[in-house]
Amino acid sequence: MEGQSKGSFNVMEGSEGKGREFVVEKSASSIVGTCDLVLRILAFLLTLVAAVVIGTDKQTAIVPIKLVDSMPTLYVPVAAKWHYLSAFVYYVGANAIACAYAILSLLLTLANRRKGKGTMETLITVLDTVMVALLFSGNGAAMAVGLLGLQGNSHVHWNKVCNEFGKFCDQVAASLFISLLGSIAFLLLLIVPPVLRLKQTT
Amino acid sequence: MASTDKPGGDPEYRTSSTPAPAGVDYFKFDVILRFLLFAASLVAVVVIVTANQTEVIRVPQPVPWPAKFRYSPAFVYFVAALSVTGLYSIITTLASLFASNKPALKTKLLLYFILWDALILGIIASATGTAGGVAYLGLKGNRHVVGWNKICHVYDKFCRHVGASIAVALFGSVVTVLLIWLSAYSIHSRVPK
Repeated sequence: MEGQSKGSFNVMEGSEGKGREFVVEKSASSIVGTCDLVLRILAFLLTLVAAVVIGTDKQTAIVPIKLVDSMPTLYVPVAAKWHYLSAFVYYVGANAIACAYAILSLLLTLANRRKGKGTMETLITVLDTVMVALLFSGNGAAMAVGLLGLQGNSHVHWNKVCNEFGKFCDQVAASLFISLLGSIAFLLLLIVPPVLRLKQTT
Repeated sequence: MASTDKPGGDPEYRTSSTPAPAGVDYFKFDVILRFLLFAASLVAVVVIVTANQTEVIRVPQPVPWPAKFRYSPAFVYFVAALSVTGLYSIITTLASLFASNKPALKTKLLLYFILWDALILGIIASATGTAGGVAYLGLKGNRHVVGWNKICHVYDKFCRHVGASIAVALFGSVVTVLLIWLSAYSIHSRVPK
């Protein structure tokens, strides 16, 4: 990348003047713009899919319950829904907010390309960091609760749930993986545009 | 001023376009914030590691039942992540102090800072979320899942320690967000528009 930008600037050493230099600068900055756009679209899609996959997660299983030894075992249908766990509610909320923000910032950056105002860019970077923090914390919470459901915790007598509700747990795991990719997309949005811009000016 | 900020810069570039801005210099705030992050990570780790409480559980037998942070993998991850953050913050505080009067080094450092700060934000935010999720379960329990009862009415000292540690880690996440804002603002001001 550095070699590429150096090569593009060497063009200006000739007597071409301002016209050539403007074209060269525009192509270097359009790489950053395309990167930005692609990452935002990716982030929007991934967080949307993650929220939908866990939002449609519901499983009903028949659980044998033995109250007293003398009575026969009761077979009770128990439902597992994602909103029974507060951590999943927070996780879905974080993904929904990130998804809405991704589409909003996409439109804003597209509109801002003509004007080239610096304050809008800084504002978008500011909100990007907040989204990264939100998404990662949501992922962590859902992962912790999912792990609790998978393994249980013998010290606190919290028994595992995933042996009964296998499909539910699988869907949660898939959603978590997709959301992790979405979080990484947001993280790259934070790192790649400023680094590319700084490298093309030094 | 532009020559000190562009080490080995192309002289043709400087004369044929507007001179590059020197960029804002907020390295004082940078050092202070990084030290705050180090302090927050240290306090959070110490407070949760010293969270020990033993209560006597009546059912099924009256046995003393301890509660330690390492009984939950979420809290173990929390301690590991915050230790990494503490180590990172002390290294970058020293790096920032070392570069405080070398402008050429500052621009190079900005690149590394925004990259690593973003990664550390991911780590500390996920650690806060992880421990927060499990702690909330311990505080309120979950009436939908059979057997996931709250424990904080019995282990009050343990829960207080864990809660305080998570609050300090949340403060650390906010400090990391501020650090990234600072680096991003410095980079945007150094890029000529």
